[in-house]
Amino acid sequence: MIVKNLKVAVVGMGKMGMLHASILNTIPGVELVALCDKNFLIRRFLRKVFKEIAIVNSVKKLSKIDLDAVYVTTPVSSHYSVAKAIYSENIASNLFVEKTLASNFGEAKELCELARDSGGVNMVGYMRRFAVTFQKAKNLLDKKAVGEPVLFKAYAFSSDFYGVEGNLDGQPSNVGVVRDLGCHAIDLALWFFGDLEIEEAKIKSIVSNGVEDSAYAEVMATNGLRGEFDISWCIDKHRIPEVGVTIECSEGTINVNDDKLELNLKSGRYYRWFRHDLRDTVAFWLGGPEFFREDDYFVKSVIGNHVAEPSFYTSAKVDRIIDEIRAKAD
Amino acid sequence: MGAEEKLFLVGDNPFHGISHLSQERSRVRGDAPTNPEYAAKLILISLENGANGFMFSVSETTLSILNVIDRNGMVESLSLYAIVPYAYEYVRLAGKVGGVPGLAKRIVKEVAFSGNLNAIAGGLKGVIEADLGSLVKTYLAYEISRIRSSAGKRARLESIMLHQLITDMCLGFDMDWFFDLYVNHILKIGFKPGFNTGNFAFLVKKFREWNINLEETVIAAPFNKIGFQMNPSREECEKALADMPKPNVLAISILAAGYLKPKEAIDYIANLPNIKGVAVGVSKESHAYETFKLIREKLNSS
Repeated sequence: MIVKNLKVAVVGMGKMGMLHASILNTIPGVELVALCDKNFLIRRFLRKVFKEIAIVNSVKKLSKIDLDAVYVTTPVSSHYSVAKAIYSENIASNLFVEKTLASNFGEAKELCELARDSGGVNMVGYMRRFAVTFQKAKNLLDKKAVGEPVLFKAYAFSSDFYGVEGNLDGQPSNVGVVRDLGCHAIDLALWFFGDLEIEEAKIKSIVSNGVEDSAYAEVMATNGLRGEFDISWCIDKHRIPEVGVTIECSEGTINVNDDKLELNLKSGRYYRWFRHDLRDTVAFWLGGPEFFREDDYFVKSVIGNHVAEPSFYTSAKVDRIIDEIRAKAD
Repeated sequence: MGAEEKLFLVGDNPFHGISHLSQERSRVRGDAPTNPEYAAKLILISLENGANGFMFSVSETTLSILNVIDRNGMVESLSLYAIVPYAYEYVRLAGKVGGVPGLAKRIVKEVAFSGNLNAIAGGLKGVIEADLGSLVKTYLAYEISRIRSSAGKRARLESIMLHQLITDMCLGFDMDWFFDLYVNHILKIGFKPGFNTGNFAFLVKKFREWNINLEETVIAAPFNKIGFQMNPSREECEKALADMPKPNVLAISILAAGYLKPKEAIDYIANLPNIKGVAVGVSKESHAYETFKLIREKLNSS
């Protein structure tokens, strides 16, 4: 595929849409040509601000615009219908969808099929794969620097709804904490260890009835590795959401989170890397260096016409595991 | 630095429970720095040992701290560098109240209940005409009135700085007209326009392209010996700094979030050109004492 200027549209101009659109606008060779949002007021402001960019109110209207790639940054509940419309209307064959790919595994599978038929590049926004600490951990695991993994504990915590029981000023995301925040821990575990199956799961509502506020699950990998997920948005002192994994291996332990990576070897040696130690700068910084790396990688994948990871196929496994957690917890 | 007094600002990250080294570190610090009485005490100790200002995101926490300092009769000793909006809190809030539309409704409600009639009128005009300029001016009037009512009449509010998230998002979108509007409006209402950025070299390049007078602004950006958060690289940021027309850069993250020892960190800053001052967060009384004493000693003579 030869692309001189990659023409990109962003659907859904909430905080993630604004973030990706701004970053994309700084990447050489990318031309932001259309923005789509169903909210009338947002569209009015967008028209005033971006005079040379087409502003539309529905995905189908993008079919009149010559596009190479589309970013889908709408709420998760609409990822399936928006992505399906983009493929079925031949709007673009290259698609980036913010996490999670869909609302359930069934929808995710359908999108994988549509993506395969389109022949384009597809990717889901699990940006923690682009964080230097997790990349270093993946590198150590692949090199078996600490031997074979035996056990892992992955967590995803935030204080977003800590201490608000009965006094909720707002509404927790109706997709629940597992899909909203826990999906990052699940994706990292899949990336590190390969496919997983849920053995046991518990889900708790704390803030309001019917909303998943915390979850715990025990899993097993195909190679016999065992693991746990601990997920909650009601944890004290986690003002910024934090995701991490502790991995017990045959020759030591890896402890990695958004900020640092620790290596405790059974030989007694100890290593620690903060982001500071891992060349954490980018050409343009917005919201964290991961987002630029992610967008730059997707753009390069489209231009080079090679597979981008996490692809829809890879990310659909996260949707499957979330469904399994819910089914086992019932 | 010339004849102008250098700025040694107390930063507010520890008061919000933030550590850019690790979240674990901010948890280990405990709740003490987030207590307004204790935070005000840390600022006053810093003041006694060489600090002369406070750089803060406008939030309930920092406004309470300013209120305590005002009641202590010390507020006029501080140069105030206010950062608006407190973007990360708004991003968090957006997740709770139904995304950007829910957040917009919340802010409109807050402005309406503030009783600031000019702000309400400007805000209405902004919404009806989809005029971002009017909305920005309304929002700034609202934030300034919040600072004034908490910090008191004697407060020396010197600069209104645009938060890093907003500065960098607008930079990404090439919104030259917005930066022009912001600079002109802030100058018109009697303050120094400021920008907090994680893309210092990019911002300087863009401002030059857009003919925005760098001499009229103050820019806060990371500068530290190990290049932490200096995008795209330490070398590019140092080069852009050397090309500034005058010392109007406030170095932040000088300790690289506690990764560097104060002496080595400050030695690096002392050798940089065009530094107007620094902002450093402190979370303990001993930090407040030692850090600002060292800053005063090393940077006053540079």
